[in-house]
Amino acid sequence: MKTLKITRGFDLNVAEQPDLSCVHLALPSSLACCAGDIPHIRPKLLVKEGQRVKTGQALFTDKRDTTIQYVSPGTGQVEKVIYGPRRRLMEVVIATESEDGYIECNPVALDDITGMPGDELVAHLKKGGLWQGLRQFPALDFADPDHSPAMIIVAMDGNDLFSPHPAIILKDSIDAFDAGMAVLRRFSHRLVVVCRESSLAGIRELDCSVADQITHTAPDIYPAWHPGAVLYQIRQVATENSSWCIRLDHLVMMGRFLLSGRYPVEKIVTITRPGERLPHMRGRQGMPLSALAGEIPGNSMVTTGRFNGRLLEKDAHIGFFENTVNIIEAGAEEQMFGFARPGLDKPSVSATFLSSLFRGPAKMDCTLHGEARACINCSYCERICPNDLMPAFIMKALHGGELEEALALGLMDCCKCGLCSFACPSKIELTRILSDAMDAYYKDKQ
Amino acid sequence: MKNPLRKFFDDTRPLFTGDGKYKKYEPVWDATKTFFFLPSAKTRVMPFVRDHLDLKRYMSIVILALLPVTFFGIYNTGYQAGIGAGESWSVTRCFLLGAWYVLPMIIVSYVVGFAWEFLFAVMRGHKISEGLLVTGLLFPLTLPPTIPLWQVALGISFGVVIGKEVFGGTGRNILNPALTGRAFLFFSYPVTMSGDVWVAGKHLVDGVTGATALSVTGAGGQSITAAIRDAGFPLGQLFTGFVPGSVGETSALCCLIGAAILMVTRIANYRIIIGGIAGLVITSIIVYLIPGGQDAWSNAGPFYHLCAGGFLFGITFMATDPVSAPGTNPGRWIFGAAIGFLTVIIRVGNPAFMEGVMLAILFMNVFAPLLDHLVLKYKSSKRIPNV
Repeated sequence: MKTLKITRGFDLNVAEQPDLSCVHLALPSSLACCAGDIPHIRPKLLVKEGQRVKTGQALFTDKRDTTIQYVSPGTGQVEKVIYGPRRRLMEVVIATESEDGYIECNPVALDDITGMPGDELVAHLKKGGLWQGLRQFPALDFADPDHSPAMIIVAMDGNDLFSPHPAIILKDSIDAFDAGMAVLRRFSHRLVVVCRESSLAGIRELDCSVADQITHTAPDIYPAWHPGAVLYQIRQVATENSSWCIRLDHLVMMGRFLLSGRYPVEKIVTITRPGERLPHMRGRQGMPLSALAGEIPGNSMVTTGRFNGRLLEKDAHIGFFENTVNIIEAGAEEQMFGFARPGLDKPSVSATFLSSLFRGPAKMDCTLHGEARACINCSYCERICPNDLMPAFIMKALHGGELEEALALGLMDCCKCGLCSFACPSKIELTRILSDAMDAYYKDKQ
Repeated sequence: MKNPLRKFFDDTRPLFTGDGKYKKYEPVWDATKTFFFLPSAKTRVMPFVRDHLDLKRYMSIVILALLPVTFFGIYNTGYQAGIGAGESWSVTRCFLLGAWYVLPMIIVSYVVGFAWEFLFAVMRGHKISEGLLVTGLLFPLTLPPTIPLWQVALGISFGVVIGKEVFGGTGRNILNPALTGRAFLFFSYPVTMSGDVWVAGKHLVDGVTGATALSVTGAGGQSITAAIRDAGFPLGQLFTGFVPGSVGETSALCCLIGAAILMVTRIANYRIIIGGIAGLVITSIIVYLIPGGQDAWSNAGPFYHLCAGGFLFGITFMATDPVSAPGTNPGRWIFGAAIGFLTVIIRVGNPAFMEGVMLAILFMNVFAPLLDHLVLKYKSSKRIPNV
């Protein structure tokens, strides 16, 4: 097991860490399949409002590859189809029935995964609505089955500081994990399994072979365990730039689907709420926010990852790629002489507040703490970027229309962790600018 | 009870926003409001949490670091005036007299500077940046206390308008605005910026020249260090700063305190300061080792070069201006070291300009983008390509 040495990143002490206990949630009255959290998708709806669907039935597909299916997490009538701005498909909401009726596929035994023809396996996973769990760098689109990746990174931990603990996802799912790993071995000889240092002990306690399959541990500095940051650390040649990655819960789902022939509907979610330590929640795919988090305080913001998630409306459902819900308070109202206060209660990665002398849990809120200004070249973004980018210079190259220069400076190495925007004292939306440019470049190349 | 200031801004809001009568002057109203009340808009795009550091805090730390220099400068102005008058004055009297000379300079600098900022913000309809908080204080500290106030106004105008606003405002300027203003005055009004202008007070008693240490040369085979000592500038005094000079530059000690504050809070990049001091020390040792010139500044050695003149002030507060310095770390080392090198070279090689640091910094400001360009080229070549 190797240790990744990532020193740049966010290492403030944040409160609200979820408890390691796990509670079961009842079946909610509605479930949904989201399109809002799926990168690059051009959705094509396959069902109508009022139509009855079974669990595992395709609800929409991707116009770019119609063999990829996004399937229903529950059984019942399609209650409504929600569109976002410019008629972008956001959610297909199902009014759930208490009994699940499944679309049944043939189960595949663990030993047969190795023997099964490759395209048959891919078709099987696509039909099950799980192929898209495998993502391909650098744009993190769904994996191209005709491409043989130099390595596949298995991320045991999620996108947020407090994503579900891998040990809780793995509990009772060791077979599924092994089946999932068997699938990955069909596509690449090199599997990189990365886990946070703090998660390792919990996995060891499971008393199984999973801990032996972990190849790298990452320090507890966000985002050291992100696939994008891991790839940047371990890659050696340019061909590795198109590696694949998959998150643990999707890998387990893949394995479970193959072994049982049914769409695995279970999902572990963590909720962080100011001043509370909530347990892990064992619920369904596509749970509504109201069933997960209960009452949301009026002035709060709900996201699926404080650094790089998506903003959730109060009636939203959680997506396939999301397993964390952060409830973040708005800060106090405009503070008098806020810039001149000693700032014991103001967490900062800079050393300009007294809070930097203490390592107590930082209280984060969802306000900008300042106003947008021109870039002053301070290099705070460079100092925090885990992938050694210079976001300010890339931003300037992009503003100048110099895409080639931005690419040469490593634009496509950006892992969209959000830390450059977090640290910027001029409050420039660096992550947004870089991320948009990456997506535009990727779309252009397709 | 509602904060009365808060109430004032709430009441005046309709006048300055939307279809208000004074909509044009919204930037002025906004700048005043945000000075009192830190704006805290909600985040709309990821990441949803943000660091507490903003530009107001950033600039406030620089102001904090400038306070020791400013207060010492005020005191020393009075103290030198006392010596000039041939009397020994109490601390209070020194302070009051110093404030009498220095405070009007600071006030004029801020008022005129902000007037220009407001004008440009109103014309262009953008927010007022915090950069002037620093520029407006830095600029008067680089001037002799005897300077006429109209020249202060002219200098800050040139610095703000030509040094900054014509390029688009804070963050887009090439040169340090405060130094640009000073250079303008230095070349336009040499009479008030050089010679015996460094001591406030109308008449100096005999034997007090009111010149700075840098203008000393050894005569008749006397070594330069002895000459500097004899002229009333022993090293200890140069370090503590009880010598004539520009308001803020005299005390090496206070500059070092400011440098420490800036480096500990990481507002200034330590690479520039350390690189600059290293460049100056190494260069001054090299010119010291070159034979000849016993009576000139080439033989003064590193300590005198470090403590005399405005080098420490310049490298601490001017060179570390992030906007006009390079944005890459190797670039910053080279930038700092080159300033140290050029300062000594100008002092030694060109006695017409006794103070080299101003020109050295401005010169390197111009080269900062080139340094960045080279570093970026090199760094790009080392990356594993990903296109």
